Amino acid sequence: MNDKSKIEKPVNVLIVGVGGQGVIMVSKVLALLCQTHGFEVKQSEVHGMAKRGGGVFSHIRFGPKVWSPTIPKGKADILLALEWAEAMRWLDHLKPGGTFIADTQRIVPPFACRNRKRGAERNYSRETPAEIIDKVKNGYALDAEGMAMTLGNRRVANTILLGVLSTALDFSPESWQAVIEKFVPPHTIETNAQAFQEGRSWTANAVKPLPVVSEAPSAESIDITTELTINTVWCKGCDICVKMCPERCLALNEDQEAVLIHPDKCTGCRICEWLCPDYAIKLHKRPNSQTEGTGAGV
Amino acid sequence: MNEISADSFDINEYLRLELFPHFLCPGCGHGMAMRAMLWAVAELGIDKDNLAIVSGIGCSGRMGAYVDANTFHVTHGRPLAFATGLKLARPDLTVIVITGDGDSLAIGGNHLIHACRRNLDITCLMLNNEIYGMTGGQVSPTTTLTRFTTTTPYGNYEPAFDACRLAEAAGASFVGREATLQVPTLKNLIREGIEHKGFSFLEVISDCTEIYGRKNALGNSPEMVLSQKSKMRPESYGGLMSNKVDQPFRPNPFQTGVLARNERQEYGELCRRHIAAKQQAE
Ligand code: SF4
Ligand code: SF4
Repeated sequence: MNDKSKIEKPVNVLIVGVGGQGVIMVSKVLALLCQTHGFEVKQSEVHGMAKRGGGVFSHIRFGPKVWSPTIPKGKADILLALEWAEAMRWLDHLKPGGTFIADTQRIVPPFACRNRKRGAERNYSRETPAEIIDKVKNGYALDAEGMAMTLGNRRVANTILLGVLSTALDFSPESWQAVIEKFVPPHTIETNAQAFQEGRSWTANAVKPLPVVSEAPSAESIDITTELTINTVWCKGCDICVKMCPERCLALNEDQEAVLIHPDKCTGCRICEWLCPDYAIKLHKRPNSQTEGTGAGV
Repeated sequence: MNEISADSFDINEYLRLELFPHFLCPGCGHGMAMRAMLWAVAELGIDKDNLAIVSGIGCSGRMGAYVDANTFHVTHGRPLAFATGLKLARPDLTVIVITGDGDSLAIGGNHLIHACRRNLDITCLMLNNEIYGMTGGQVSPTTTLTRFTTTTPYGNYEPAFDACRLAEAAGASFVGREATLQVPTLKNLIREGIEHKGFSFLEVISDCTEIYGRKNALGNSPEMVLSQKSKMRPESYGGLMSNKVDQPFRPNPFQTGVLARNERQEYGELCRRHIAAKQQAE
């Protein structure tokens, strides 16, 4: 089946995700698998910001002879993304007609939430999986983490994705399993085997247009007004609230009393209320719809 | 859960408002510790009439006075001894002891180790600000090496106590530590401590801004409270091991979180059972 002579040109697999998801582990599994089948494998990766939740990618090329370690734009045969926005970022590397496999889970980076105001829109990919699956020829988008949870261990999500990936490559399931076993902790071998099968059977049954996005609750749905009251009689002007407010909403006036100078910027995080040693600050939150009806304060 | 109770928790319901503003200095960490404690009490739904707060002498000791509950302000170093009697006589009360580093480790040092040994169902909150603040800034058993106090004008040269390890060794069945910067986390820890059946020893890293901070040029109140963050090493980061890894970069990182938990026979119950058996035999 996985005959060496069948593959003449190198096969390009691009694996992407964010730090901590296991991109490197997944690509090691694939690289070792190709090696055991006698292919030459080149893998190159960038994981510099991995610990900060930054993007991680790994190029894998295998074939009878591989020269360059990187995949040019538009030349990846398979794009495997462990996170949705990363999938979008690397989509242009996929060749026309290539296989697209993506986990729909969203890891929203801090810089996408720079506007912390309630209800502010996030700078996160707005493409939905259904849209993308429509456009690519062989597209699979799944909620691997959710599937892993039903198997009882969210960490096997990557193995589920490997199961999906295995259907796009010409290696026997047994040889995949043998390699996966080498990478996972001994007591999880069974769950991982299950997860691998789960990925394969999901792919077999996958009908277009696919999947359910694991949509994070959007900020827009929380419609709340915040109101801050400062008891200036109790305030001792220690400056803690002024310096600790992430939005710089507060300041000390000439009497060394805390005052709210930017009520519009307050996100209601309560840091000032919690850290005021004199209990001078109280934050009230009320849902907007209710205040109109009753007019009552909290 | 957390967010709901943050909304509905109103600290004023638990305070003796006529005594406010309190006497603590601007920026004193004890205020935050008290908020966390009262928040934990509110979350557990403990009735104020069933709550007894025993406090010793010192800035920490004054906190008892501000809480609207059954409060006892007792002699220096003796809150644990007092609380032991109270809890034995009234096992139905939730007894919380508020003490300071000097109160519990120096003057009341023996009471602390014996309270740990007995394992009576009390929660002991030790507010550690490394100094005797109320009496004018003398060196305490937890003052960091080389720091200045009124009694160490050339810097402190006595090694400091690790109170949590002391308590654990003496037999406390629940030991934890948290800093005042993390009010919600501290609240959760105190809550766990109150729920624990047995002696809970909780060290709260607090700041003395006006005396200790000023004498050692540790910055203003915001800088001091923020600096706690760089010193903490949460237990969930891998505990002692990660402390070792950090050594070259962070001198003396302190571990936070639940540091020890061992289920032992609670003393009050044991005591009552024993007495009942003896009385029956007579
Ligand atoms: S709740 Fe307080 S700390 Fe948070 S943004 Fe509003 S003013 Fe600032
Ligand atoms: S933290 Fe409290 S006491 Fe300090 S300045 Fe702000 S309101 Fe005043």
